[in-house]
Amino acid sequence: MANPARLLIVDDNEDILSTFYEFFNSFGYEVKTAVDGFAALKILRDKPNYFLCLITDLVMPNITGVGLISIVKNEFPDIKTIAMTGYGDHPGALASEARADIVIFKPVDLFKIERKVAELIGRTED
Amino acid sequence: MISPTPLIGVSIPMLKIKELINHVAKTCLNILITGETGVGKEVVAHSLYAESDRSENNFVKINCAALPETLLESELYGYEKGAFTGAHKKRYGKFLTADKGVLFLDEIGDMPLALQSKMLHVLQSGEFSPLGSDQDFKTDVWIIAATNQCLEKNIKNKTFREDLFYRLNIIKIDIPPLRKRPEDIPALVEYYFKKYLSKYPQTQAQRPDSQTMARLCSYHWPGNVRQLQNCIKKQMVLNSWDKIFEELPDNASPSETSSSEDLFQAQLAGSAMHSPAFPFDNEPGNQRMRIISEFIDLSTSSEKLFEDISLKKIKKLASDKVEKEVITFVLEKVGWNRSKAAKILKVSYKTLLYKMSEFNVNPPIS
Ligand SMILES: Nc1ncnc2c1ncn2[C@@H]1O[C@H](COP(=O)(O)OP(=O)(O)OP(=O)(O)O)[C@@H](O)[C@H]1O
Ligand SMILES: [Mg+2]
Repeated sequence: MANPARLLIVDDNEDILSTFYEFFNSFGYEVKTAVDGFAALKILRDKPNYFLCLITDLVMPNITGVGLISIVKNEFPDIKTIAMTGYGDHPGALASEARADIVIFKPVDLFKIERKVAELIGRTED
Repeated sequence: MISPTPLIGVSIPMLKIKELINHVAKTCLNILITGETGVGKEVVAHSLYAESDRSENNFVKINCAALPETLLESELYGYEKGAFTGAHKKRYGKFLTADKGVLFLDEIGDMPLALQSKMLHVLQSGEFSPLGSDQDFKTDVWIIAATNQCLEKNIKNKTFREDLFYRLNIIKIDIPPLRKRPEDIPALVEYYFKKYLSKYPQTQAQRPDSQTMARLCSYHWPGNVRQLQNCIKKQMVLNSWDKIFEELPDNASPSETSSSEDLFQAQLAGSAMHSPAFPFDNEPGNQRMRIISEFIDLSTSSEKLFEDISLKKIKKLASDKVEKEVITFVLEKVGWNRSKAAKILKVSYKTLLYKMSEFNVNPPIS
């Protein structure tokens, strides 16, 4: 494969993180994970132009998902962003305002997210 | 303007906060700083400003708890001449003075609900108009808010707007109380001692000795850094740490005070500054320190110490030590009959002999 589909997944819930990791891994994605926005930001700044898509929880300590998406849209505009939220409407609305490509509500359907990711990054199944 | 205070701290949470400041200071995203009174929320806000691209412009602070509602509103947004009785001439608000700079909303948890709504509207639209004016001004301020209240709780009590909370809380910096990071105390003492020495050149004040430092590190500091700072200032005049401790409110219940782990960290920080080791044996709950000190030399610098600490190595040292005692115990019970001892210990005769020689276990010379 010329261009591995690299994903960064961010959530402060380790269970969700490992579920996502396993799932996307089995679909052939190259997955990295981070437990909060700050950890994710360090990974992104360390490897600019590496990830194709960011999937992030919104309510997290230090840098929230909304903050992370705003920074990504400013500094790495090519990275697609998906926001996941389970805390009512406010964080999701702020994520849209921060120009998240997709905002979805928890609990999430992994197969559905995978299809959206594939669509966003133009990945064709083989 | 007074020169800004550097953010002193060597504890892991403070190092992480400094790193976070460094990573987000140029983003201009709204930031909420939380923590008990006196932990350094304003110092953190200033550090953010100093590391941002806005440090050439104003840092404007407004205390939302100190002013009555109407005054707070006119301070924030300004007013036109004649906007209300007493408005004899036009006045600029903080939103305008902070333009292209920072607006520090201190004690945001105390902002009245009506002003919270207005604030939300301004942050959403990026525009405001002074009282009595029909003109809209674009705002370009970086909002940093601080509070010692639990806003999540205020939201439940309906004294704080949830939507405003989420809009402010794009980045959250939570500063732990000083008692949770006693390893910062030696560094803070040194910084403020030096600072006040130059302010009180005549003083005879002594720096804390290691025992006093240990006391300072195990106190629970309800007023956090501000309270510690006041103690050091007092010392310039009193030159008696005993008197200073006498005047401090009593330590809270033991569960509230620092854990032995915190004290361990404090000792690391202290030894890194080459001050002698603290008398930990006198502290309650320091069994852990005693156990650890059996296997590790705690008097070295923290860097060297961390190099020395390896779980594998310590496991070996600890298990050797216990094995040696158990082997000696059993051998004594069976009159130093080694094959009997091997059976009891459920190891081979050869293994026992090997361990006896490794641990230097010898029968008493009769
Ligand atoms: N990390 C630090 N390094 C140096 N000085 C500090 C530090 N933290 C706090 N201080 C000092 O302690 C005092 C209190 O700090 P600050 O005013 O920032 O606290 P605060 O969290 O805003 O408290 P409050 O909730 O009461 O407003 C100040 O004099 C400040 O300079
Ligand atoms: Mg303050």
